[in-house]
Amino acid sequence: MRNRATNTLSKGKIRQSWSKYNLYNMQRFRSPPTINRTFFQQKWSAKAASRAYHGEQVREGQWKRMFNHRIRSVIPMNASDLAADDGSQASSGRGSGLDMGGKPAYQKRPTPYTQMTFAPLERRLDVAIFRALFASSARQARQFVIHGAVTVNGQKMKHPSYLLNPGDLFQVEPERVMYATGHTKTAYERRQGRLVRRKAKAQTSEEEVEAESKETAEEETKETAEEEAKETAEEEAKETEKEDPKETLKALMAQAKSIMSAGKDTLAPQRKQELRGFQQAVRRVLSRSESSTVLADSLEAQFSQLTLLLKAKRAEKKPDNKDVKLRPEDAFASDKGDRELAAARKDTETAVSDKLSEAFSQATLGNEVDASELSDEEFETLKRALTQMRDNPLDNSKTYSTPWQPRQYMSAFAFIPRYLEVNQNICAAVYLRHPVARPGSAEVPTPFGETIATPAYGWYLRRRW
Amino acid sequence: MPPRMQSRSVSNTLLPYLTATSSSSLSSIPSLSSSSSQCLSRQFSATAAPQAQTKLRRQMFEWLNTEGAVFKHHVPGETNYLTRLKQRGPETSSDASRPFPNNSSFISEPILSEELRNEVYHRVVEQKMSLRAVSVHLGIDMKRIAAVVRLVELEKRQRAQGKPLALPYARAIHEMVPTTPLAQQGERQEYHEPINDLPAHPLTGSQIFYPVPESRSFTRVEAGRVFSGAPAMEHSEAAEISHPSDLAEKIIEDPNSIAWVGKGANARQILQPADVRIPHPHMVALERDRLAHPNERLAVSEKQSKRLKRQDAIEKERRERLQARREKKLTVVSPEDSRFDYRIKDTIYTPETTGADGRGSKAVGRRYGVPHRDRTRGEIKIPTRVEA
Repeated sequence: MRNRATNTLSKGKIRQSWSKYNLYNMQRFRSPPTINRTFFQQKWSAKAASRAYHGEQVREGQWKRMFNHRIRSVIPMNASDLAADDGSQASSGRGSGLDMGGKPAYQKRPTPYTQMTFAPLERRLDVAIFRALFASSARQARQFVIHGAVTVNGQKMKHPSYLLNPGDLFQVEPERVMYATGHTKTAYERRQGRLVRRKAKAQTSEEEVEAESKETAEEETKETAEEEAKETAEEEAKETEKEDPKETLKALMAQAKSIMSAGKDTLAPQRKQELRGFQQAVRRVLSRSESSTVLADSLEAQFSQLTLLLKAKRAEKKPDNKDVKLRPEDAFASDKGDRELAAARKDTETAVSDKLSEAFSQATLGNEVDASELSDEEFETLKRALTQMRDNPLDNSKTYSTPWQPRQYMSAFAFIPRYLEVNQNICAAVYLRHPVARPGSAEVPTPFGETIATPAYGWYLRRRW
Repeated sequence: MPPRMQSRSVSNTLLPYLTATSSSSLSSIPSLSSSSSQCLSRQFSATAAPQAQTKLRRQMFEWLNTEGAVFKHHVPGETNYLTRLKQRGPETSSDASRPFPNNSSFISEPILSEELRNEVYHRVVEQKMSLRAVSVHLGIDMKRIAAVVRLVELEKRQRAQGKPLALPYARAIHEMVPTTPLAQQGERQEYHEPINDLPAHPLTGSQIFYPVPESRSFTRVEAGRVFSGAPAMEHSEAAEISHPSDLAEKIIEDPNSIAWVGKGANARQILQPADVRIPHPHMVALERDRLAHPNERLAVSEKQSKRLKRQDAIEKERRERLQARREKKLTVVSPEDSRFDYRIKDTIYTPETTGADGRGSKAVGRRYGVPHRDRTRGEIKIPTRVEA
């Protein structure tokens, strides 16, 4: 199917897409004028505008068959209201309740029924993937389905027009989602990725040739995999061997802090350099510790090893000091630069209860590092930097820019409607129920107001008005 | 209180690093001045060089660089929707959660935070609480609770298998979208969504003129009968119902007690009052007990727990009975050297399965006079459901 869903500026149509063109079109969109125009013309232009957004990938005839004039709605009930009145009060007098001094007995907010005109389209698999924020446009979601990256209830589903049933669980490959929602690679990163791929290819071909001499091959792969990083790490490890363990840990923390406090004006490559430096420093510490049998290139192993090292420090501190955790708001505040403020607002009552500290308390080992001078805040910073290094590593072989960051202008489109329950970690979502209207709000996400929704609904009624 | 898994809280705070992105993209936008200088350098050309950008493009980039620049990156913990541009007066809370400036009736509703999600899983799977109880405690719809349990289960399985996860993506989404946090110890849990939604029944859409004497009380039970076209109740029958929520308990005990009206294909059950049709009818009963005995809180809560226990038992028994009946009809054959299980069911030819005229399209098997449509041209073969 040819993609006619372009974001042209001259037409100014709104699409199901996160592009900046679409954002611009959305903010400058004005409802078409109604003055001096016939009803037919008004309905036509309303239909045209709303169909450009709602299911432009669906043929008009197909959509007409899906359209239903009956719209689902719910009324939230209050249990105490129901208990207080069996309905006789509401129907007393002349049938609509007694006059309560001008105050209505029940709050009456209009239900925006016509905003729900395109609710049947929200059942489509491609639209649901877009709504769950797994793709940056409905077209991309459609492509994911066609390319076999989507499962419904554990089975591969290749039809974008599959209509989800309430309770259906759909899942997109996380790599695709990261690609769709992540920042694009720069030319430099693309080149690095190519080099990595070429190297891997060369390795495999070499291995095939030298199948007999396994030992040499192993050495080679090791060397190529780690390359400079390990060399430098070894060199620096030798240098730092004489140093005090306390000093190294302190240096590590300073490095972590510099990573975390990178402001908005810091350039991306610079931060990547910092991250690389941090990784190397971590390797250095690991190579110094006695149990450095763990390979330095496995991030998971690095992480667990370092947490063990840190545990020693924690155990020492525990008797005299309580664990202190930064609240999320505080962390956000610290991002803006006022770290002192955040420190002042520390919540001493909340104890650290995340997995990391659990691992700390459970593991039992002798103290190796004496770093009791370090403040809790510093400790937290290090922990955060470590977690981030593990979860979001630098990897040029990925299809998106690493470390992953959300694509630009994404936040203006980020919302998840109530009829979906999404687990972002595994990129899976459940279609709970069909979208409904309720007093004051409609669940179908549409950028158009009442002045477009109602004429568009009128257009699709079998008997037009 | 069970130990809470708050793995998110630490990792959430990592994002400052990730979100602090470069401002270099500003420089990537081609500026007019550079293009015009190019024009000047080509002095040998007689015709004017075409404009590097159309007016519309220029306007768009102007907007993106000035007003629209705030949308490029998000601020963790805040929404960043287009409506923030339109705010002239004081900022209202509803405005910040509206993604579309023209549509005032669409609100970006909060999603469950990671801790709340884990708490739901903990209560349902580890503490073995019923979905109904968890739904009332946390203010989450029962369907959502079931979905959360399913999703967390799947996540645990994938973590155990070492499959790739989208952790930084999840973190970013939880910062852009409003979330419902898990209450701290001792605090009251904020309700996530309304849990007693009454679906509007199509029958109630019609306007009916139904005269009733002013001296008579006209309740929801009677209104339901009027909407479904059923005759008025006998006096003795009406006297038994002191409040519509009495019907709810009766129907939970015996769902077949709902009477029918109409004949043949038009037969339908009488529309029940809202007290019966809401997801948590027991909440109305509790409120009634509270109104009746305002000073006996302990007794009321005891009665409620007894009621819930009894209803759970009834529901469980009914589910088991249904399951047993389904299994009785089904023969599962699983050959040893096969990847597949074969579920064999007897075909039943009744008006319910084959339709009134015996030619229903949903019925199984080849039937005389009913052509198979699946090979005809233009027949859509997209599945309509996928078994979980």
